Amino acid sequence: MTPPAGSLLSAEQLRKAYGPTLALDGAEFSIHPGEVVAVMGPSGSGKSTLLHCLAGIVTPDSGTITYNGHELSAMSDAQRSALRRSEFGFVFQFGQLVPELTCVENVALPLRLNGTPRKAAERTALSWMERLEVGDLRKKRPGEVSGGQGQRVAVARSLVTSPRVLFADEPTGALDSLNGERVMELLTEAARSTNAAVVLVTHEARVAAYSDREIVVRDGKSRDMERAV
Amino acid sequence: MNVRQWAADLMLGVRFAFTGGREGWTRAVLTAVGVGLGVALLLLTTALPNALTVRHDREAARSDVTFSGEEVPKANDTLVIAKVDSNFREDSVRGRALEPEGPRAPLPPGVDKFPAKGEMVVSPALKELLESDSGALLRERLSDRIVGTISESGLIGSAELAFYQGAEGLAPHIQSGTIERIDRFGDPEPTSEQSDPVLLLLILVVFVVLLMPVAIFIATAVRFGGEQRDRRLAALRLVGSDSSMTRRIAAGEALAGAVLGLVFGAGFFMVGRQFAGTTEVFHISVFPSYLNPSPLLALLVAVAVPAAAVLVTLFALRGVVIEPLGVVRAGRPRRRRLWWRLLLPLAGLAMLFPMVGNGRENGDFNQYLVTGGVVLLLFGVTALLPWIVETVVGRLGSGGVSWQLAVRRLQLSSGTAASMVNGIAVAVAGAIAMQMLFSGVDAYYTRSTGQDVSRAQMEVTLPEGTSVETSAQKFRDTEGVRAVYAISEGYLGDSAKDAEWNTQLTVGDCATLRELANLPSCRDGDVFAVHGSQWDPSLDDGKMAEPGRKLYMDPSDVGEPKSLEIPWTVPQDLKAAKPRPGLVDEDMDQGGFLMTPKAMPDAFAPALDGRAYLKLDQSTPDVQDHVRNTAADIGPLVDTMTWAETERADRYDAIRTGLFVGATCVLALIGASLLVSQLEQLRERKKLLSALVAFGTRRRTLSLSVLWQTAIPIMLGLLLASAVGLTLGTVLLKMSNTPVVVDWTGVLSMTGIGAAVVLVVTLCSLPPLVRLMRPEGLRTE
Repeated sequence: MTPPAGSLLSAEQLRKAYGPTLALDGAEFSIHPGEVVAVMGPSGSGKSTLLHCLAGIVTPDSGTITYNGHELSAMSDAQRSALRRSEFGFVFQFGQLVPELTCVENVALPLRLNGTPRKAAERTALSWMERLEVGDLRKKRPGEVSGGQGQRVAVARSLVTSPRVLFADEPTGALDSLNGERVMELLTEAARSTNAAVVLVTHEARVAAYSDREIVVRDGKSRDMERAV
Repeated sequence: MNVRQWAADLMLGVRFAFTGGREGWTRAVLTAVGVGLGVALLLLTTALPNALTVRHDREAARSDVTFSGEEVPKANDTLVIAKVDSNFREDSVRGRALEPEGPRAPLPPGVDKFPAKGEMVVSPALKELLESDSGALLRERLSDRIVGTISESGLIGSAELAFYQGAEGLAPHIQSGTIERIDRFGDPEPTSEQSDPVLLLLILVVFVVLLMPVAIFIATAVRFGGEQRDRRLAALRLVGSDSSMTRRIAAGEALAGAVLGLVFGAGFFMVGRQFAGTTEVFHISVFPSYLNPSPLLALLVAVAVPAAAVLVTLFALRGVVIEPLGVVRAGRPRRRRLWWRLLLPLAGLAMLFPMVGNGRENGDFNQYLVTGGVVLLLFGVTALLPWIVETVVGRLGSGGVSWQLAVRRLQLSSGTAASMVNGIAVAVAGAIAMQMLFSGVDAYYTRSTGQDVSRAQMEVTLPEGTSVETSAQKFRDTEGVRAVYAISEGYLGDSAKDAEWNTQLTVGDCATLRELANLPSCRDGDVFAVHGSQWDPSLDDGKMAEPGRKLYMDPSDVGEPKSLEIPWTVPQDLKAAKPRPGLVDEDMDQGGFLMTPKAMPDAFAPALDGRAYLKLDQSTPDVQDHVRNTAADIGPLVDTMTWAETERADRYDAIRTGLFVGATCVLALIGASLLVSQLEQLRERKKLLSALVAFGTRRRTLSLSVLWQTAIPIMLGLLLASAVGLTLGTVLLKMSNTPVVVDWTGVLSMTGIGAAVVLVVTLCSLPPLVRLMRPEGLRTE
């Protein structure tokens, strides 16, 4: 099967089982550069597994994932790690910031992992933090900032490498609605400004409203809502 | 304060310790095993003084020396007993020949019937040895029929080699110290054991050094599962538990582990006690029944360990703010102050300083000051290390990502890192000090013997009436004997009774006499006077060595029975000789008259004692035992001695090996707790690790970060341990009046073992780390 024309990242017939539990059962997915796609579904439906497969974190049992013309399943673990470092960005529900590092060091971490010298990495990190309105937190540690601030720092970290695809797994799950909306606004604005595609996993309709398109996952199968319309 | 509330909170904590499914149980058992190992060691230590007392009492109970010095007349309740001790390889064999003189003769403890001539009763260990292939050489010497075994009451250790053999005709040879007539066993006025001060110092240091890390280990063990517990406590705060209740619940959890640890410890001790009965340390063994901890000390352990667990937990929680929102934040750490931390080791040094120079002869050591000083000095490590780690990691610059992750983590929780390393640092510091002390004391003793074992390695004393020539020939025919220097010795006085001047007479062939002194020339029939001897300068004033002067062989002393008083005239052709360094001790150079066999009057024979020095081919296996077998063949009272230099070295090797084994065991124990804490911390960070891997962090980077996190505090800990160890070692050597020599091999090996423990811990934590970095960690459902 060939990926949909012009898509940056696509998946065909993905199957993934954890023991006896079938998490994905023939799921399909595609996203174009600059597009924001929301992956929705109830708890345990397989949406996070789909995100992990698309990001090359988890290898599917069968099916193909193509990124920019390259098949992910044909890549080694090291190659997939390198891809995640340079082309992808991640935001998780609880930020997952390193508690020992200051906020600016956390944001600079992906750049440093790519070999950027510390000072240069922290300069870039700071500019992203300012864009996300958390520049004044640069010397604070994650334990010293609020949940909403921490999540904005996490968004800054996900964008600091100027990724082509941003994976966000319930990015507002731990925030109140006001903070959640602000994070989503900043995240989508920043992504659109760099033409990054965003794969947004959520079960909240108001978060999904920030997307261009929605895909619903249920019992491991996916359904493109826009095409269905 | 409400006692019921306290008890209820503690009990709730105890319940929490065992809930939480498999993980909860694993944590509780792990804590109990850790505490149990420590408790077992503590119980063993509290039992040791008792074991030494029992040994001492049993030794006193079988004592067969007539302390009064008065000769016991023969009666129907007397026994003639002869010392027929021997050695087999490295082990001493206690032997006594028994000749009961009447039906009421006293039986030695542990023996229910006298063996007849040609029979013997033996200790179980000797029986086993004689029946084994490895005991074949000894069997040649102890060929009497075994008719029974000595029971526990007659032995001082399970591995003791001892025998009683039947004998006849001993009475005519009664001589104080060797063959005696007794009417009772045991010292009528037993004294408490008087320890050599240096030995006391060694024992105290060994105890402190081994127990300190154990105490720290127990403190660490009760903190197993600390982070999970903190989360649980936060949840309790959420449902309304106040701060002090929460702390009491935490203390209850620690209490549960400690109490279970006491049970485990008692079990380990019982197993270890049985095991102790089958082992021998530095030629000392004990029976399991000796290892009874003193009830008071055992009670102290039973109370102190749970109390310590509770206190340690409360102390550890003092800087933790437990909030109800499921978040546990460490209170802003106060900057550590150096001054009081320095006070501890300085106070330790101050306690030890007054005893510098007390040495071997100059007096005793105050055991409280020694213990207190060593404890404070070693405790100083645990006080200084957190400050050093905090100060150093606070100044560490940024490097690669792995370095940055590790350094930042250490900066945030330097106290945790230091407490993980404390046990290792204390163990290493103590081991270095002990190495130095043992090595210094041993080197000093070896030097001070002045023995030159290159000329002769064994000495044989022949009892009265034994032919020196025949015996010498038998030794010459013995496998592995290269040369035999046989002599007969007696004393000459300037008068028959109450001689003012005495000098030694030594009879031997020219080859032998040349080993004793520098002779101008020698042929059989010559007599020499040795001038210039440091050891026996009696001939130096020329009066006794005047040709024609009448001297008396075996003169009588005041108040003693009449001796042989054989007159002898100094010959006219007396030759002068110069001394040589002593055959086995360079200070004991030979003085007096030297005489070749032809010059010796026949009448002298009964007044002379025989002695032979043997030069051995050390490459012959068991050469000493071949000599001992020949000696036993000549007569049961022939006494052999092996010159000490090599034995001392062997003994030191044994101590060194023992120390290494002990220190390695303690370090392995601490390493295990380090691994548990490490794994626990990694598990806590499972989600974070998975997230880091998700955005492309190399596994190598995270693994290296774990290595740095352990290696930096360990490096600092080992540096501090080396400094404290060397200081303590130096002070202890100065206290025992021993020249200070740094045993660098010991320092490097101990720090090497410490470093190896860290490496092993890191290597062991890598597979779980890799597992935790799997993307499954990101799953929430």
